Amino acid sequence: MKLRTHLAQTAAFLGTVVLVTGCSERSPDTIVVGLSADITTFEPGMISSRDNANIARHIFGSLFSLNPDGEHLPELAHTMEVSDDGTAYIYTLRDGLTCHDGEPLTAEDVAYTFNRVVDPENRFTGNTPGFVLTAIAFRGAEVIDDLRVKINLARKNPIAFGLLTEVYIHCKDSYERMTLDEAASGPVGSGSYRLASWTRGSEVVLEKVRDPGTFQQIVWRIIPEASTRTAELIAGNVDIITNVVPEQVDAINSSGRAEVRVVSGTRRMYLGFNLSEESRAQPGGDAIQDARVRRALQYAVDVPTICRQLLSFECERATGPVNPPLGNPNLSPYPFDPATAERLLDEAGWARDADGNRFSIQLQAGRGRYVNDVNVVLAIGQYLQDVGLDVDVQLMEWASVYTPLLRERSMGPLFFLGTGGGLWSPIYDMTDMADVASSTNYTHWNDDRWFSRWADLSDAETPEETRSIIDEMLQVFYDDGPWVHLYFQPDFYGVSNRVVWEARRDERVEVFEAGLR
Amino acid sequence: MGSYILRRLLQSIVVVIGVTLVTFFALQAGGDPTYLFVSERASQEEIETTRRALGFDRPLHVQYASFVGDLARGNFGQSLSYRQPAMDIVLEALPATIELTIFSLVIALLLAIPLGVLAAINRGTAWDGSITTFAMLGQSIPNFWLGIMMILFFGLYLRWFPISGHVPFIAPMMAGDFGTAISNLPRTILHLILPGIAVGTYSLARNTRLIRSSLLEVLEQDYVRTARSKGLPEMRVLIHHALRNAWLPVVTIIGLEFGFLLGGVVVVETVFSYPGIGRLLFAAINQRDIPLVQAGVILLAGIFILLNLVVDLVYVRLDPRMKLMEGRG
Repeated sequence: MKLRTHLAQTAAFLGTVVLVTGCSERSPDTIVVGLSADITTFEPGMISSRDNANIARHIFGSLFSLNPDGEHLPELAHTMEVSDDGTAYIYTLRDGLTCHDGEPLTAEDVAYTFNRVVDPENRFTGNTPGFVLTAIAFRGAEVIDDLRVKINLARKNPIAFGLLTEVYIHCKDSYERMTLDEAASGPVGSGSYRLASWTRGSEVVLEKVRDPGTFQQIVWRIIPEASTRTAELIAGNVDIITNVVPEQVDAINSSGRAEVRVVSGTRRMYLGFNLSEESRAQPGGDAIQDARVRRALQYAVDVPTICRQLLSFECERATGPVNPPLGNPNLSPYPFDPATAERLLDEAGWARDADGNRFSIQLQAGRGRYVNDVNVVLAIGQYLQDVGLDVDVQLMEWASVYTPLLRERSMGPLFFLGTGGGLWSPIYDMTDMADVASSTNYTHWNDDRWFSRWADLSDAETPEETRSIIDEMLQVFYDDGPWVHLYFQPDFYGVSNRVVWEARRDERVEVFEAGLR
Repeated sequence: MGSYILRRLLQSIVVVIGVTLVTFFALQAGGDPTYLFVSERASQEEIETTRRALGFDRPLHVQYASFVGDLARGNFGQSLSYRQPAMDIVLEALPATIELTIFSLVIALLLAIPLGVLAAINRGTAWDGSITTFAMLGQSIPNFWLGIMMILFFGLYLRWFPISGHVPFIAPMMAGDFGTAISNLPRTILHLILPGIAVGTYSLARNTRLIRSSLLEVLEQDYVRTARSKGLPEMRVLIHHALRNAWLPVVTIIGLEFGFLLGGVVVVETVFSYPGIGRLLFAAINQRDIPLVQAGVILLAGIFILLNLVVDLVYVRLDPRMKLMEGRG
C-alpha cells in the first residue's frame, strides 16, 4: 500500500514538473542558434575554430569587415589607406567608440590589440597570430594620433586588407587589468553584443549593447549530435542549426516548422595528385606525372551525380581553386565522359592489360571531416575503377593519421581534400599554391607557367592587368593542374519558420540582421 | 582496519601512475597534437612556433616527467584548448555528471528490486519470462540508440521532456546558492529523465537479473525453508529472510555500478548535449588536450578506487562472515 502511495506521489510530482517546465514560450527578443562544436575560449589571440569565431564576431568589432558577397566594408574604422609601397595600412577610427566596459576605444587600443596577439610572452596560437598576421608578414602597429593607427607589413601583400578583417579589436586598459585566464572566459569586447553568461559545453548567452543587432539576446547552444540538433529545431527550441546532415534534410523540410537552406560554401573539394619524387616511387605515382593522365581523370568522375546523390545538393562542378564568381569566366566544368577519359589514358600509354587494369594507385582520405566524405571517396574510387584504374581506397582517421600526412605533404599519389576559400579575392583562393614549397601545396606541383606569374601579379598596376594574369594562371591550372576538380562543399543550415535569416557562403554565422518572420 | 585502508591507498597511487602513463602515451601515439592547434594554412615555421609554445618539442619522456612532477605538486597543468587549469575545468563539469549518474543509479535500483523480486517469486511464469526478456533487451540495446529513440518519441513527438541540455542543481548548491538550486530542481529532474533512463537501462537490466538469480538461490536455502515451516507469512519470509541475504551481491556492485555509470555516460552526454565530464573528455581526446584528459581520467580513476574501497568496507559490515585479511589485503 505504502509503495503504491509512493509511486502515485512520484508520478504526480513528475507530471507537475512536466506541466510547469515543459511548456515555455520563446521570447521574441531572443534568437537561439545550435552549433555542432563546443567553444573553448574568448581570448582573441586563441580563437581558432569557426564556431568559436562565429560567436566572437558578435562580441568583438573589427576595423573593416567582409559582407556575404565578399565586399570590404568599414566597421570600427571608416577609412583605410594603403601606402604606395603596400607595406603600411592606415585606418581612421570612427569617433566616440567604446568597449563594453565603457573605456573609449582609440588608436592606442587598436595598436595594442595587434601587438598583444603577437607578443611571444602570451604564447597565443589562435587564427590571428597563427595565420592572419603571419601570412601578411605583420611587423607591428603604431599610433599616429587618437583616431589613426598604422599597421606595418614586411612586404606588399595584395590580400592583406581582407585578412586584417579577422583581427578582433579590444581595449588596452581592460585587457591589461586581466590575467590571460580571465581574458579567456570574460571578454571585454568592442562589438554589438557582450557576453552575459557562458556555461561551458552547454550554452553562451550574449546581450545586445549597441547596433547592429535585431535581437536583444543571442543564445548559442552547443549540440554536438546532428540528430539532436535536428530534433531541437523541429521542436521549436532552436531557430538556426549548423551542419545539418544530408540524411536529415527531408525530415526538417517536411516538418512544416523549419526548412534547410543549402548554400554552396567556399571550401574547395578536390582530388589532389601528389607529384613529389617520393610519391613517384609508389604504384600510380609515375603515371600521374603525365598531365594527359591527370586530364583524363577529370573526365572520369561524375561530379554532379555525386552532389545530387550523396550530398543532396545540385552543384556545378568546379573549374579551379577560385570560388565563383571570381574564377576564370571562360572555363567550363569538365563533363563526365568516361570514353574520353579512356581514350586519353590510352594515348598517354596506359592501355588496359589482360585484367582490364591500366595501373594501380592509392586514393587516401580522412574520414568524418567533410560532408558525407566516406561515401564521396568510395564513389570516386569506383568511377576511377570504371576507366581501368586499380584503385586502393584508404580511409584514415582524420586527426591522428591523415592530418600529419597532410602537414608533411606525404600523402599517397591520390588524396581527397577540402581547403577553405573566400569570396573577397581570387588571389586568396590561389595562395594555396603561392610557392612550390608552400605548406599548402600538398601536391608538390611545380609548373613554372603558374609559379612564375606570382611576381607578375605583385607588379601588376591595374585591376585589369591583375585580372588578366589571374585568368591565364587559372587556365594553366585547369588544363594541367594538380587537382581533379570536384565541388564547393555545400553548407546545410536548418532555419526555423519563426525567423528570417540568410545563410552566408563563407561558413560565417552572423545573426545581426536576422529577424522574426 | 587502519593499516588496510592505508595499504589500499598506497596501491591506489600505483594505479593512478599507471593510468597517467597509459593515457599519456596512448594520446601521444595518435600523432603530434600540434597540428590540431594551427591553421590549415600554417607554414612550417608557424607549426614549429606553436609546437614550442605548447611544449611538444621536448622528448616524450621529458614531457611525461614534467607532467608527473607537476602532478606531485597538485598541478594538473593548463588545458591546451581552454588555456585554463585543467582540473578546474574537469571539476566544473563533474557536478552535472554526478547528477546524471545518481539519477541513473536510483532508476536502476528502484526498478531493479521490484522487477527482480517479481521475477524470482513467479519463476517460470509469464511474469518471469517478460521481465527476463526485458532485462536481456535492456542489456542488448546500445544506450545512444535508446537515447535517440527517446528523443524522437518523448521529446519530439509527445513533447513531454526536453530534448537536450542541463539545468544545474549541485553546482549552485555547492556555491551556497540554495535558492537557485531549489528553484532549479524541477527543471533539473526534467532534463535528467531521458538521459538518465538511457544511461541507467543497462544497469537496471543487469541488476534485475542479478537480484532474480540471487533471490532464487536464497529461496532454496534451509533457513528460508525453516522460516516457512514455522508458519511465517510469505511476505515476511521474503523481505526479512530471503531479500536481506539476496541483497548482498547487489550491495557489492552498487559502488562499482556508480563508477561504471560515471565513466559510461560519454556517448549519452553527447547525444543529449549534456555538459558533463564524459562529453568534456570526449572532446578533449579528439582535440588531444592531454592535460585535460589526464585530469579527467585521474579524477575518475580516483573516484573509482575510492568507491571500491568503500564497497569493500561496507561489505564487511553487512556480512559477518567476511573479514579483512590483515597482512594479505
